[in-house]
Amino acid sequence: MAAAIETDRLRKSYGSVSAISDIDLEIQRGEVFGYLGPNGAGKTTTIRTLLDFIRPTSGKALVFGLDSREGSRDIKRRVGYLPSDIALYDRMKGEELLRHSAHLRGGVDWPFVLELAERLDMDLSRQIRTLSRGNTQKIGLIQAFMHRPDLIIMDEPSSGLDPLLQQEFYEMVDEVKAEGRTVFISSHILPEVERLCDRVGIIREGRLVKVENVESLKERALHEIEFHFAHPPPADVFTELPGVRGVQVEGSAVLVSVMGSLDAVVKAAARFEVTSVESHEPSLEDIFLSYYGNEQPHVE
Amino acid sequence: MLSNVLLKTVRDQRRSFMWWSVGIVLVNFITVLFYPSLSAATEFNEILGDDNSLMRAFVGDIADLTSPEGFLNSQLFFLLVPLLFIVFTAAQSTSAIAGEEEKGTLDILLSHPVPRWRVVAEKFAAMFATLFALALLAWLAIAAGALVVDMEISYARMLAVTVSAALLGLAFGSLGLALGSATGNRGLSIGVTGALAVTAYLLNALAPLVETLEPLQRVSPFYLYIGADPLSNGLDPVHAATLAALSAVLLATAALTFERRDIAV
Repeated sequence: MAAAIETDRLRKSYGSVSAISDIDLEIQRGEVFGYLGPNGAGKTTTIRTLLDFIRPTSGKALVFGLDSREGSRDIKRRVGYLPSDIALYDRMKGEELLRHSAHLRGGVDWPFVLELAERLDMDLSRQIRTLSRGNTQKIGLIQAFMHRPDLIIMDEPSSGLDPLLQQEFYEMVDEVKAEGRTVFISSHILPEVERLCDRVGIIREGRLVKVENVESLKERALHEIEFHFAHPPPADVFTELPGVRGVQVEGSAVLVSVMGSLDAVVKAAARFEVTSVESHEPSLEDIFLSYYGNEQPHVE
Repeated sequence: MLSNVLLKTVRDQRRSFMWWSVGIVLVNFITVLFYPSLSAATEFNEILGDDNSLMRAFVGDIADLTSPEGFLNSQLFFLLVPLLFIVFTAAQSTSAIAGEEEKGTLDILLSHPVPRWRVVAEKFAAMFATLFALALLAWLAIAAGALVVDMEISYARMLAVTVSAALLGLAFGSLGLALGSATGNRGLSIGVTGALAVTAYLLNALAPLVETLEPLQRVSPFYLYIGADPLSNGLDPVHAATLAALSAVLLATAALTFERRDIAV
């Protein structure tokens, strides 16, 4: 059985600038795959190629074994799509827009649409133009999920959703996965990717730099932990500990960067009088740094 | 009304179409009501001046302003009716693809299993249907006016010239659609369409007055529309077919260029 998504040396250039190059992805059916990277790295370009909105300069993309160009119509029958910064027909009501979408697809189970609207606490009788960003995003989510597609592609899906609905959205993704369907999410929000994805691909400056499962990514993430002590501790307490990648001391405050387990650092700190501790979730940038050290971004 | 792109596009215009209808009906009906006061005063023909008067650039190369044909041609069909039809189709056709692309709504539309050529075709069909509905209303308004003022004129030929004007509107609408589909740039599409429409009008209107323009008159779509005077002679089959063929070629161009290019974010 063909993979849900497979790209072969996919490349898209605009003049002499490559938006993406040599992207080799293989995403199996039933996977929830996170596509990570800072803004402008090429996430949206990859997604828009899969949907045949833009055409590869070279290489190819297959969705369920169908070529993204020739098989576009069949691909779209089986795919749900949520763009980033979604724009909807703003003179329609939510229900009208979804009915139109359902007609264009055919075979949509309308009670399921209403169920999704209810889960996301969405009032479909309102005109789209009166909706907040978060509510517009909800309509976008409903139209991406409503035909129970085999593959759901979402570009920055949870932007604008409030935390409660974010949880509901996570559950919707879990259910899709439980049914053996595939989800492809682009994101730059690490906790979301951690919560949802089995594997991630990291894209940087148009190149896929790493594909890894989330567990090992987390192990290698760089955590930053900040201790405030009652008295300035000796300067070298943390520097030699396992996993420590950097120590900054400012008076009685110490910022320690750690990769992997925090155990040794916490135990070392406990020998002194600690007034407060702050731990910063590793950001995507930190993960990039932990992978690539101080290697400078390649500039053409 | 939501079952496909064509019906949805027509539905989107229900309000603006209502206002267009009101405007088209009023302007045509009221203009015709002025006919008796003008026809009674044959001295109005003096404003036509001699054969080279610039006035003829605005009312057409006609001999008699006070005959029913001369009146309707000069007051409505030479400029006003085709201009309204062109504005109507140019606005609609340039928002069809380029407008949706600039707003960003095209992404969701094209994520459905609808081929691009089909989106273009259905948007064209929506323009075609609303334009000819508007033309029908224009004809009915003029015919009603003619009935009220007891004008001696053939309603069938009145329909012929209205259809001819609609074919002209369709051609420029198709141009706007082709430009928008090929470039995704609404401003450019509407600007170029408007500029070419004005050029085509002037070419046709000034050709009888300016000798150097004369050989070019026949390439103007305005000439194809009214050069054979459909109000007096009925629809010229060759001219009408040429306008229709122009629309068909532009529609095909729209579909082909749109199929081949990248969609802007």
